[in-house]
Amino acid sequence: MKRTMATMLAAFMLGLSLTACSSSNSTNTDAQAPAESSGPALSGDDLAFYRFPEPVDVHIGMPVDPTDKTLPAGDSVSNNQYTRYLKEKYNINVIVDWTAATGNDFKQKVSLTIASGKLPDGMVVDDRSFMTKAASSGLLYDITDLFQQYQSTQVKDIMESTGGRAMDNASYKGRMVSLPNITVDTDGVHLLWIRKDWLDKLGLPVPKTLADIEKTAQAFKDGKLGGANTIGIAGPSKNTFPYATFLTSSNNLGGFDPLFGAKDAYPGYWLDNGDGSVTYGTLTEQTKETLATLADWYKKGLIDPEAGTRDNVGDPINANQTGIFFGPWWSGGYGNGDSFKNDPTANWQAYPVYTDDGKWNAHMKTTGSTYTLISKNAKPDVVKAILIMNNALVRDEATFDLSVAVGWYPLRNVMAAANETEYEYAELLKVLKGETQAEDYNVPNSLYKLMYADAKKVKDVIKPPYDELNVSNFNTANFGDFQRLYSLLIGDRPFSTVPIDKKVFSVTYNQTPTMETKWANLKKLEDETVLKIILGQAPIDSFDKFVKDWKAQGGDEITAEVAELLKK
Amino acid sequence: MRRMNVEKHYYLMLLPGMVWLVLFSIVPMAGIVMAFQNYNPGAGLLKSPWVGLDNFRYMFQLSDSRTVIVNTFIIAIGKIVLNLIIPLVFAILLNELRHLRFKKLVQTVAYLPHFLSWVIMATIVIGIFGYYGVVNTVLGMFGVSPQLFMADAGIFRQLLVGTDVWKEFGYNAIIYLAALTGINLNLYEAAAIDGASRWQLIRNVTLPAMTTTVVLLGVLSLGNVLNAGFDQVYNLYNPLVYSTGDILDTWVYRLGLQNLQFSLATAAGLFKSAISFVLIVVSYRLAYRYADYTVF
Amino acid sequence: MVQSKTFGSRAFDGANYVLLALLLFSCLYPLWYTFCVSISDKAAANAGLVTIYPIGFSLASYKEILGDALFFNSFWISIQRTVLGTGLSLFVSVLMAYPLARPSREFRLRNVFMWILVFCMLFSGGLIPWYLTVQSYGLINSIWALVLAGGLPVFNVILIMNFFRNLPKELNEAAVVDGAGPWAILFRVYLPCSIPVLAAVALFIGVYHWNEFFNGLVLMNTSDKYPLQTYIQQLVVNIPTGTNLTPDQYKKLSELSNRTLNSAKVFIAMVPMLIVYPFLQKYFVSGIMLGAVKE
Repeated sequence: MKRTMATMLAAFMLGLSLTACSSSNSTNTDAQAPAESSGPALSGDDLAFYRFPEPVDVHIGMPVDPTDKTLPAGDSVSNNQYTRYLKEKYNINVIVDWTAATGNDFKQKVSLTIASGKLPDGMVVDDRSFMTKAASSGLLYDITDLFQQYQSTQVKDIMESTGGRAMDNASYKGRMVSLPNITVDTDGVHLLWIRKDWLDKLGLPVPKTLADIEKTAQAFKDGKLGGANTIGIAGPSKNTFPYATFLTSSNNLGGFDPLFGAKDAYPGYWLDNGDGSVTYGTLTEQTKETLATLADWYKKGLIDPEAGTRDNVGDPINANQTGIFFGPWWSGGYGNGDSFKNDPTANWQAYPVYTDDGKWNAHMKTTGSTYTLISKNAKPDVVKAILIMNNALVRDEATFDLSVAVGWYPLRNVMAAANETEYEYAELLKVLKGETQAEDYNVPNSLYKLMYADAKKVKDVIKPPYDELNVSNFNTANFGDFQRLYSLLIGDRPFSTVPIDKKVFSVTYNQTPTMETKWANLKKLEDETVLKIILGQAPIDSFDKFVKDWKAQGGDEITAEVAELLKK
Repeated sequence: MRRMNVEKHYYLMLLPGMVWLVLFSIVPMAGIVMAFQNYNPGAGLLKSPWVGLDNFRYMFQLSDSRTVIVNTFIIAIGKIVLNLIIPLVFAILLNELRHLRFKKLVQTVAYLPHFLSWVIMATIVIGIFGYYGVVNTVLGMFGVSPQLFMADAGIFRQLLVGTDVWKEFGYNAIIYLAALTGINLNLYEAAAIDGASRWQLIRNVTLPAMTTTVVLLGVLSLGNVLNAGFDQVYNLYNPLVYSTGDILDTWVYRLGLQNLQFSLATAAGLFKSAISFVLIVVSYRLAYRYADYTVF
Repeated sequence: MVQSKTFGSRAFDGANYVLLALLLFSCLYPLWYTFCVSISDKAAANAGLVTIYPIGFSLASYKEILGDALFFNSFWISIQRTVLGTGLSLFVSVLMAYPLARPSREFRLRNVFMWILVFCMLFSGGLIPWYLTVQSYGLINSIWALVLAGGLPVFNVILIMNFFRNLPKELNEAAVVDGAGPWAILFRVYLPCSIPVLAAVALFIGVYHWNEFFNGLVLMNTSDKYPLQTYIQQLVVNIPTGTNLTPDQYKKLSELSNRTLNSAKVFIAMVPMLIVYPFLQKYFVSGIMLGAVKE
């Protein structure tokens, strides 16, 4: 006790200068460290998977799911199969400086770390504004050169599969300051997921247009197919949104993205008008019309009455209370595992939603939206270690024992070829039909890193006939395998087999300078207006006032900035 | 001489507490300069650029700032007023009980909610008012379709005030109960002999005797008009009710710890601190002048 | 008190009993409800069917908690925090209260110190400067951060000070005549007379430390250092922001919510308070009186 008091007094004296010392630290390392490397004279993949002769300590901050049960007893966040793998193969010691629950708690921890200017060597953040704030404060390591040296061929191929978009995304003022997340394009293409078994029970066809969906949802509800509390269409939770936006342009489970697309509306996206001007998609007449439709459905009780307030999007889906929801390829299978556990006959199928004249419109995503940040104060060896950890994950993810959630892999930031799922869909069907053999895919360091593993197990999971896959074709004995293959073969079927008539990209997927101060407020205004209109708490006419307010509170200024981007 | 000697011991006695205060209250106050800077974490407090009152100006331009200030006032004043009245009513009713063991029981149980944290209360409130909560189940028995209480901006403030009053009414009644025991019994007897009814007794004897206490408590709670209860709101709110339920404290929290607007958050916090400080000093002065009551 | 047994009076009594019984129920119900959910069948609880009695019966939640090391760990941390925090605060507050209770003719700087105290009570530097300070002391992730970083509870010092000031002056004078110094007066004369106020203040501080969750969230770096309330908060109230999760993260997040398990944890977290406060009732009642209404 006495000693603590004494040290605290000493700390108080130091405390007066507060962050002064941390700032001097960061200026010291301003000199370009990367060039002089203590590494050996290796190159290419030898360097990318280099084992350090001396142990290298990597300090990280990490999100943890407090409800996860997959970690075996005795293992911990800093000692599990993944950290042991890194230790054995590369002599990397992962030291977890801090953890926080995924979501708000993690965000809060990241904010505090950035505020104090004392970043751990590495952490993965899920918001680009965190990356830009840290970069503009001079807290991040310039990895431009080291990345060129240390990326594996696989990582290089994946980066190139995005045509430079991933590199742009990971850079600040022309320098690479983070490792980007690269996810498959299908993550941003949202589909209609529907219980085919319920359709069959009622003798209904697969709905194609908005009008069809309305009728179907009504029929499901009237028929009480999900029990007394049947919900027509699932909706967003209190932390998800009715549509994906340019800043988070993918994986919007439980939103209404396909419905907007079917009305040629792209809310949340910056649209190129073709004449040098841009429009923010939320402000369009089409968006307003779609909102009116949604409000009408909500009023008729077709949309989950708890939309916007639920803790968890998946609850009504997993409880089999609803037969319709919207989400990307993985949301059936991966996204709703409990639905199958609770009802093995739940035959979820995925389809596009079409406009009244039969077109499929889809907004497209950015390359990825999470970033691995590396502290400016990290030693060059530590930076290399983090790059190697990333290479190793990309190469070996398929070989891990996934009964321990791969989220426990330190600094996991997914990199996948942009067309990985389409490739797998096509090739897995070939394997099933006997046109190719699993061994054909045994190519070391393939760009499609999970293909070989999937090819080996696909026949164990899926029973013939292979022409039209239903849930009855699938064996759920290994539930993890079932989920993956169900998502790939059912969820990716539309994107792989049906051409999209109109792909809409946002003019930008990043924040402009004015957005850094004003966007949070505008986004809030937008979220509130949209949700209130859908839930009938505000009349559709409030949309016009929103447009006016949005423009006045900085929207016009930002629109001009985005239009500038077009010129480049 | 002796006084010097004794005073030395007084300083020694104050030392641990003063060290504590300096370390955790006074040193952090140096960080207030952040409100007048564009704080750059890489540069630290000493080297961040100064921007004068820009953060304050920008804060008042935001439509959010008006919303949260209004919300804070309405919620806090609602709580202050009802937390004065409801416990008073409760105390008087309790005082009218003649079954002493029942009285004791009610008293003990009524204190209970005060001792539970808002983390725990929030899970309970959500369990009761959630869509699949108890209230909706009961309403359903009467054929009323379920309501979204937790997401309805129209009633969220009432919900906040209501649950707060419910949590604190028993505890807040303690002072009143003590004041009630202090009323001269002769007054009741005299009135009863004059044939006054129970209601008249309460109105003409009890209530007037309580006025000073009520007024004093009211004055002293003046300093709380910007304290709408961070713990409660933080654990209960969601984006759907920001328009009526977002308060200064939660806003400051989100600005700083979700949006990385460190300087703006500090400015907003400073604004709140300064106003509260003035209000509290005023309330103490008032209490001293009109009730001859000193807090310290 | 003279009672007139009129009809109105009896009606009033009846209504009063009913009303207070309802209030009694409203204060007990949350407890009962939480308990019911915690022992109900999982599916029924998740569907919101539990209202006034358990539906189904299952102790699965409690069994699961028995194997949850993190839960017990956080429980233990809360106990440590509460004991250390209460002990330290109480000790420091008593030491401070004594000199401040002296009249300013006896202690010249008394009013200066008083103003510093009040200033600290009312003014704060804000969340981020406070965090940076605590961090610069190297206290992040240490139990001492939980104990100390909340600051000295100034209000309690004032409470004890007011109590000391109301003690009969003769006590002090007699002790001085006997040749006792300030320390002896404080510990041998004042403290034995001050048990009620000390108990009340101890309860106030203890309740604060037991119930506080935010500092745990901000100042602790790993979940094995969380106090109980923080542990429950991140489990029950913190909801992942869902739009850019990877599929396999999502998979786990989509598991059905754990209403019964969470209720069991909440219920256990309430128990210590339920046990302690009735015994301290008479003390906190007198404590509040000291703080609010003086003669």
